[in-house]
Amino acid sequence: MESSDAWRQTGRLDTEQGKGDPFAAAVRATRMAMIITDPRQADNPIVFVNDAFLRMTGYARDEIMGRNCRFLQGAGTDRGAVALIREAVTAGRDIAIDILNYRKDGTPFWNALYLSPVTNEAGEVPYFFASQLDVTDRVDAHMRVEQEKAHFEAEVAKRTHDLSQSLATQTMLVHEVDHRVKNNLQMIAALLAMQTKAITDPSARAAMEMMLTRVEALGTVHRRLYQSNDVERFDVAEFARDLSNDLVRGSGRDGIRLHLDLETVEVPVSKAPPVALMMNELITNALKHAFPDERPGRLSVTVAPDGKYFAIKIADDGIGMPIEVMEKRSFGKRLIGTLCRQLNASIAWQSNEPGTTVNIRLPRETADSSETP
Amino acid sequence: MTEPLRILVVEDEALILMQIEMMLEEAGHRVVGTAMTAAEAIAKIEACRPELVLIDLRLADGSSGIEVAQAIRDRAGITAAFMTANARQLTEEMEGATAVISKPFSETVLEAALAYLETCVRRPPPTGPVPNGMRISPQCLARFAAMRP
Repeated sequence: MESSDAWRQTGRLDTEQGKGDPFAAAVRATRMAMIITDPRQADNPIVFVNDAFLRMTGYARDEIMGRNCRFLQGAGTDRGAVALIREAVTAGRDIAIDILNYRKDGTPFWNALYLSPVTNEAGEVPYFFASQLDVTDRVDAHMRVEQEKAHFEAEVAKRTHDLSQSLATQTMLVHEVDHRVKNNLQMIAALLAMQTKAITDPSARAAMEMMLTRVEALGTVHRRLYQSNDVERFDVAEFARDLSNDLVRGSGRDGIRLHLDLETVEVPVSKAPPVALMMNELITNALKHAFPDERPGRLSVTVAPDGKYFAIKIADDGIGMPIEVMEKRSFGKRLIGTLCRQLNASIAWQSNEPGTTVNIRLPRETADSSETP
Repeated sequence: MTEPLRILVVEDEALILMQIEMMLEEAGHRVVGTAMTAAEAIAKIEACRPELVLIDLRLADGSSGIEVAQAIRDRAGITAAFMTANARQLTEEMEGATAVISKPFSETVLEAALAYLETCVRRPPPTGPVPNGMRISPQCLARFAAMRP
């Protein structure tokens, strides 16, 4: 006669405990690997194993019956996961965990283990029921994704570091070049200024002084560049304020009142040098010719936006520009004409009663050949 | 100008140093010494006892004008002002200096800056706007504001 525990010792469907028990038959037949262990016995041995478990692990039933499940563990098994399972068994609670196990032939597989206590009416735990699912493909895929993610993250971090270093180098280079340009302009101005002081011939000295103001106007452009955070734009109004004040002060003419009417006009940095040189010529001309013999007067400088254009107006209430000066092909006038051409600007001299007004209209952005002011 | 200002000029570009010296002397000031390195400048501060020290930021032998400003800091009777093409490198409080004059500067700008600094040294607080191309440190502006009635 079969013992009452004989059903545990076989996978045969016709030997289940209790004839016609559909649940026992289902446990044997399912494709889900399942085992039952008995925690009341020493070392919590396996007391039932279904065929799916045997197929999954490669063991024969008699090789594993009565053994603790730890034979499934191997070198790559996470000790932390094992400890968690042991804690759950000791506490008599369920646990779901992915753990790396090994088949009989040594091949590893990822086991999605679900372990739960089976409690009787007395509140005891006579059995633990465990189901296992081979999720190697899913875990491998997940690990591959994680590895690829880590690889890409490392690559992004490296590229970001490289770019940051490159940007820092570029920024340092720009600052170095900026510093050298400013220092060189300062040295050119120093040479011109010192040479000018040594010249006794009045016309040669005047020409040198004029050249010095041009270099200094370019110096003012560079001093103003990079003062704002926008390194690509140049504020003509702020420049006009500095230049006008410097030139009037530098003329030593206390009787000349400067009137500034300046609205912000930002232009590309590439326009800054020619705009600066043109304003320098016009303001210097006014200071030189409009107020002879220490005549007092008013010089006004206007910068105003005008749609896609902007306007610069230099007006004085002096003696008016003599006809011979108007018609003279001086270097200054040629310079103004050339700069206007470069800037695609229009320029108009107008005689006032009294004084002279010069109106310039320039496109704000890079000149478009289809548009003429 | 009441009495010439005693000025030490710290600048490693010989041409710029020469121009500044000429300008200061033309303006009636007295250049009591010049230096091209921080160590030289610090030694001359002791030897020449200047009232005003004009300091370039980058100096010869790789030294920095900041070392000079730090040596002057909190010393009564000496005013420091940077002259630099690298004003961005300075901290907001300018290492204790009173002002920074941005390079490149014209002679007009330097003259105006010197006139302002002369008032800072001799008859503080200065009146009128801060000249173009020059920036005054916030702590000096606050000190000048507190001096005004």
